[in-house]
Amino acid sequence: MLKRVPFYWKLTIAFAFVIMLILMIDISLERISEVKLRFFLIIAVTVILSSISAWMIVRLTVRPSLSKLAQGMDKLAKKRFDVRLNENDKDEFGHIFSSFNVMAVLISSYQTELVRAKDFLNSILESTADIIISVNARKEILTFNSGAEKALGYMREEVIGKPIEMIFADPEEREVAIKRLKYGDNVVNFETKFLTKSGEVKDVLLTLTLMRHAEGTFVGTFGISKDITEMKRLQNQLIQSQRLSAIGEVFIGIQHSMKNMLNTCKGGAYMVRTGLAKDKREMFEEGWEIVQIGIDRMSDLSKDLLKYVKDWKPKLEPVDLSKVLSDIDTEIRKSAKDKGIEFHLDIAKELPEIPCDAPMIHSVMMDIVSNAVDACFWKDYSDLEKPNVCVKAYLRNGRDKAVLEVADNGCGMTEEVKKKIFTPFFSTKSKAGTGLGLSITSRMIEVHNGNIDVESEPDMGTVFRIMLPMNVNLKNKEISDGKESAGN
Amino acid sequence: MAKKVLVIDDDENQVRFLTVALEESGYDALKAYNGKDGLEMIRNERPDLVLLDLMMPKKTGFTLFHQLRKDDEYKDLPVIMLSGVAEVLEDLDSSSDDTHARPYDSLREAMRDKIRNMKGDGLLKPEMFIDKPIDPELVVDKVRELIGN
Repeated sequence: MLKRVPFYWKLTIAFAFVIMLILMIDISLERISEVKLRFFLIIAVTVILSSISAWMIVRLTVRPSLSKLAQGMDKLAKKRFDVRLNENDKDEFGHIFSSFNVMAVLISSYQTELVRAKDFLNSILESTADIIISVNARKEILTFNSGAEKALGYMREEVIGKPIEMIFADPEEREVAIKRLKYGDNVVNFETKFLTKSGEVKDVLLTLTLMRHAEGTFVGTFGISKDITEMKRLQNQLIQSQRLSAIGEVFIGIQHSMKNMLNTCKGGAYMVRTGLAKDKREMFEEGWEIVQIGIDRMSDLSKDLLKYVKDWKPKLEPVDLSKVLSDIDTEIRKSAKDKGIEFHLDIAKELPEIPCDAPMIHSVMMDIVSNAVDACFWKDYSDLEKPNVCVKAYLRNGRDKAVLEVADNGCGMTEEVKKKIFTPFFSTKSKAGTGLGLSITSRMIEVHNGNIDVESEPDMGTVFRIMLPMNVNLKNKEISDGKESAGN
Repeated sequence: MAKKVLVIDDDENQVRFLTVALEESGYDALKAYNGKDGLEMIRNERPDLVLLDLMMPKKTGFTLFHQLRKDDEYKDLPVIMLSGVAEVLEDLDSSSDDTHARPYDSLREAMRDKIRNMKGDGLLKPEMFIDKPIDPELVVDKVRELIGN
């Protein structure tokens, strides 16, 4: 019953009780005559009785509630989140208990949430095939996921607390990554090698992140690595087979080229031999000339091979393209005319000087224009159509690129042929040339930072467009150097 | 009367030494430098045998050959193909389509289909392929084998 009475009432009742007691004692001490003694006695009795009644009140009312609270706290500390206190008390403890219960419910729900989040993160860490390892500031392994166990062959118990260096094939590489980490916040896809328990080396791509406390102190690193050993092996195999196939292609290309040249020499040699045997000087001389042609073509091939592998460095100078093109006009026009092919040259008015290497561009244009003439020569024209080759030079809209265009209405190319024209030794002209012309041309354009665009349709014709950049800022120095040396 | 052999090839030098070799062996050698002129020459001169190059301007050896075989008048005209693709035919004979097994030649690849077609139909097969580098005396021997003196 006492429990339902509020605390201040309990105190009031206690004091009333003490005062009544004192009064009763006072009355019973009336016989004591000395006032002083009587006063001290009353005070002493008052203090003793007050203490006793205060102690009784605490013992009877506060202590059970406090011990209940203490027990509740104890249970909570032992993670028994289902603990609840009786809220029926009307006194302050009733309030405290109800607050305690609310707190217990909240802690319980936060705990559940935390566990769930932790499980979720764990399941991600454990289900991924990636190697995920965290390391503390003393470079000791903190966590080691199942991906790491599978890839490296260690059980986590074997490595946790061990130095991280043990899994690096070259521990210095980790230091390199860590150094980079200190300049930025993470290192992404750092290629390195891990050592498995059995001593096998694995190629991995490591992404490393620094772990810091909220206030910024370094607490360790967190690394996710992808095992790329198999990928690398396949890649190397592919590179190797591509290299072999490329070498094979080159050998066959050279062999094909040489076969044509040998053919000429062999035929010429036959005539020389027959001329000598039958004493026909004319046949002998003619045969010798044919042998000579074969030899010349072999030396062309040898020069082209060297040209192809040369490290091209264009010497950029402002060039008047109309001059380069009119040289080509002079060289081509006659042979084109002999084959009945019309040749047009159309240079845009006010075409500025173009930063380029004049001899290279001359060689490029010569190659493409000769190809255009050949394409016309190969086509069987109807009476309505006349073979023609048209060369244009102009600035592209935006004036950022100079365009050199060579258009013909010759035999054109199929899509398959078009795809291969820049491949060394690819040729549809079995006898003429070395099969390296367009490969060399495309490299020359490449070193100018330019590009070649080809449009073609079988029996309709082909358009080659060479685009050269106008804004060659980087090369300005070279341009002025060029001028100086030209002046010297 | 001497038998007529027509050489059709855009390589002037090759035409020259082949005609010399044929004439030295008593044949009447005719020449054309592209497929179009070659066909005209066949119609006008009616040769006994044709030495035909594959890759030529105006009309390729393939086109001309097919045209001849489809024409009743010329379907039996013996043709020797002068080309570097005889070995491709051997490849086709001796292997499957697995071209990865050995390095391939872009040129051969381009011709593969055409040659396969040629092989597919017995009627469309030329009498003979002769590879480069060509030995003129060997060519004459083969001509003799096919049409006699």
